[in-house]
Amino acid sequence: MESTFYDEVFKGKNEIRDTYKKLFQLFNEYQVDDFELLNEKAKVSFLNQGITFQVYDKTTTEKVFPFDLFPKIITADEWEHVETGALQRSKALNLFLHDLYHKQQIIKDGIVPIDLINSSENYLKQMQGIEPPGGIYNHISGTDVIKHSDGEYYVLEDNIRCPSGVSYVVSNRVAIKRALFGVFNNYPTHSVSNYSENLLDIMQSVKPAGVDIPVCVVITPGVFNSAYYEHSFLAKSMGIELVEGRDLFVENDFVYMKTIYGPVRVDVVYRRIDDAFLDPKAFKPDSLLGVPGIFEAYRKGNVTLVNAPGTGVADDKAIYTYMPQIIKYYLDEEPILNNVHTYHCSRPKELDYVLNNIDKLVIKPVDESGGYGISIGNKLTKAEIEKVKSVIKATPRKYIAQPIMALSTHATYIEEEKSFEPRHIDLRTFTLLGKDKSFVLKGGLTRVALKRGNLVVNSSQGGGSKDTWVLKK
Amino acid sequence: MLARVADNLFWMGRYLERTEHIARFVNVNYFSSLDAPNETSQSRQFVLNSILRMVDDEPEEGEFLDERTVLYDVVLNPKKMFSIKSCFRMARENASGARDLISSELFESINKLHHYISNYPVELFLERGLDEFTSNISKAISTIKGKIVTTMMHNEVYSIIMLGIQLERATDVIRIIDTKHQDAIKTKHELGYRTSYEWTTLLKCLQSFDMMKRFYKKVPTSKDTLNFLILNPECPKSVMSCLNSAKENIDKLSKKKELKSSFFIGKITAEYKYKSIDEIETSFNDYIQKVISELAGICTSIEDELFNH
Repeated sequence: MESTFYDEVFKGKNEIRDTYKKLFQLFNEYQVDDFELLNEKAKVSFLNQGITFQVYDKTTTEKVFPFDLFPKIITADEWEHVETGALQRSKALNLFLHDLYHKQQIIKDGIVPIDLINSSENYLKQMQGIEPPGGIYNHISGTDVIKHSDGEYYVLEDNIRCPSGVSYVVSNRVAIKRALFGVFNNYPTHSVSNYSENLLDIMQSVKPAGVDIPVCVVITPGVFNSAYYEHSFLAKSMGIELVEGRDLFVENDFVYMKTIYGPVRVDVVYRRIDDAFLDPKAFKPDSLLGVPGIFEAYRKGNVTLVNAPGTGVADDKAIYTYMPQIIKYYLDEEPILNNVHTYHCSRPKELDYVLNNIDKLVIKPVDESGGYGISIGNKLTKAEIEKVKSVIKATPRKYIAQPIMALSTHATYIEEEKSFEPRHIDLRTFTLLGKDKSFVLKGGLTRVALKRGNLVVNSSQGGGSKDTWVLKK
Repeated sequence: MLARVADNLFWMGRYLERTEHIARFVNVNYFSSLDAPNETSQSRQFVLNSILRMVDDEPEEGEFLDERTVLYDVVLNPKKMFSIKSCFRMARENASGARDLISSELFESINKLHHYISNYPVELFLERGLDEFTSNISKAISTIKGKIVTTMMHNEVYSIIMLGIQLERATDVIRIIDTKHQDAIKTKHELGYRTSYEWTTLLKCLQSFDMMKRFYKKVPTSKDTLNFLILNPECPKSVMSCLNSAKENIDKLSKKKELKSSFFIGKITAEYKYKSIDEIETSFNDYIQKVISELAGICTSIEDELFNH
């Protein structure tokens, strides 16, 4: 089974790929004990710095996101392909969103079926007709890509609601530079520390009309949110305030924050709160996290929300299948990155295929994130297959299925084994769109499934991460 | 600066300071009593009683105190709000709430101590860890304060933290003085009130013993000790010194917008400046209560004016 996967580090049995040859030479100078020590040091350092996340279970344990000392290396040419592909998708999704909330021409032209939009929980009617400042909906996109057994990149999903993980990209780099500076020195690698300055630049570029120097903030659900570290990292590294809902209020459709000297107007809000919780007046009325009236302020163009509300409709896993057509329709370009073939359970013929071939497929709920609710066909027992079948039959629109993708493997230091072993990986890239500008972070979060044979890489499912080195030309 | 975050910073400062005082109080009182020159001061019950009163958990008259229970409650019991563990947890929670404003170095030093406290085994502490644990806390808090001074901009963020630290210090110092003053009364039949061994312990609890001796060049007496710890503006632990520093910091915050709290602190500071220790000693208990309520009044005024919007 393992041999069918693309190995990022080895070609054939024992031959090391060119990109990694130097790394192996340098690693040979280390003993296993050295790695164990470096690994332990990195863990303690993350813990002390509070670079942790909380898992949603009965406890409130803080966990260090497991970090692997073996970096994923991407050559300049390969990266160019990923970067242009990710940017192409983000731009197409932005145009798609504008269309969905305005003329809906793509539906009228019969490219995307209206049912998909009507049945999507993430389509916000309140967004219809609104012109977001700078014309941008998905200012921040996280595109998850994998390398399949054919050695080609495929997009697994687009995340354009509140994609997270960028803080780990930056802190992984800091950690690896400290631990393996001698190795890092030998690879001309692009920096990742410029993410925050670019994000701030993007936020400022979409300021509301009439504002000279915009006051930008990051809004967080609070210290107990699993991604609070990232929220505080972003605010700190941009030098802007990290606010909670209770720190803001709306008066005459303008948003203010409560400072020690009184109210200060806020112009751009990078929100790390889901749509539903953003404004109890416009959406979920019992939300305590949001700001009453902020949506009306947004509608009137007095504040910019980053990302715009309602972007979730386009990163829906059912919409994903139409991405090649969406790209062609809006940009008149061929998609640069491949899409994984997807079966819609809402279509009777495809539903039949899915129900009869579950063992060959991955079943995913269309509107979940974080790796929740995913069933991998060949890992299910007979009873589990039956259960999955009945769940799909009950709400077919909620599920899609894809062939089990052969996520590439990459040598990874496994603590329990005290050795390097191949583990499956994917890569989340981060793309920023602003008014007349864009930025793709040269690097990204390589996520690794630490359990042998596991294909789900999400941190909530026991995944870890690697530093990603994008080499300079 | 956000009002909520200012509130977090103020309380971060207060809880850091409080943790340090409890750790030192427990350490100094426990170990000083071991070879105290008089019988009462050597008694376990006397020391445990003193420790509980300091954290405002006054035991019943004549109640028997179990050493392990008292030490656990005051130091590591997460259910007791006054314990070192709880106080520091609050310090860290407040620091987390202001994480984007404080330096990474400062947060890391706080977080490191949090993990040390969380992971310290209770049994080890009760068997033989009292000195190690409380001393390490004092050292770590000194490091944290060093990070505050050397890695933070000395702007309004700094002023708010320092206000929390100084007002808490003044409050803790006066409470510790109160506790030890009562201890001195309890032991007066052995060594006399004026020359009680408890004054030495009091000064050591506040790391002021050496400097006090250098200043007065004699064995501590009640009057000199109280004068030194309440009114001497050069003793960094004195109530006077804390108020002077608090005044400086509130004045910095007052530059952008005139604050009533600045006037309030100024008024109280001026009153203390012209107070003599003889006036204080005549009705000491009343005086202590007055200081405690005035300090609480200052804190309330700051909270109302800066944090509650």
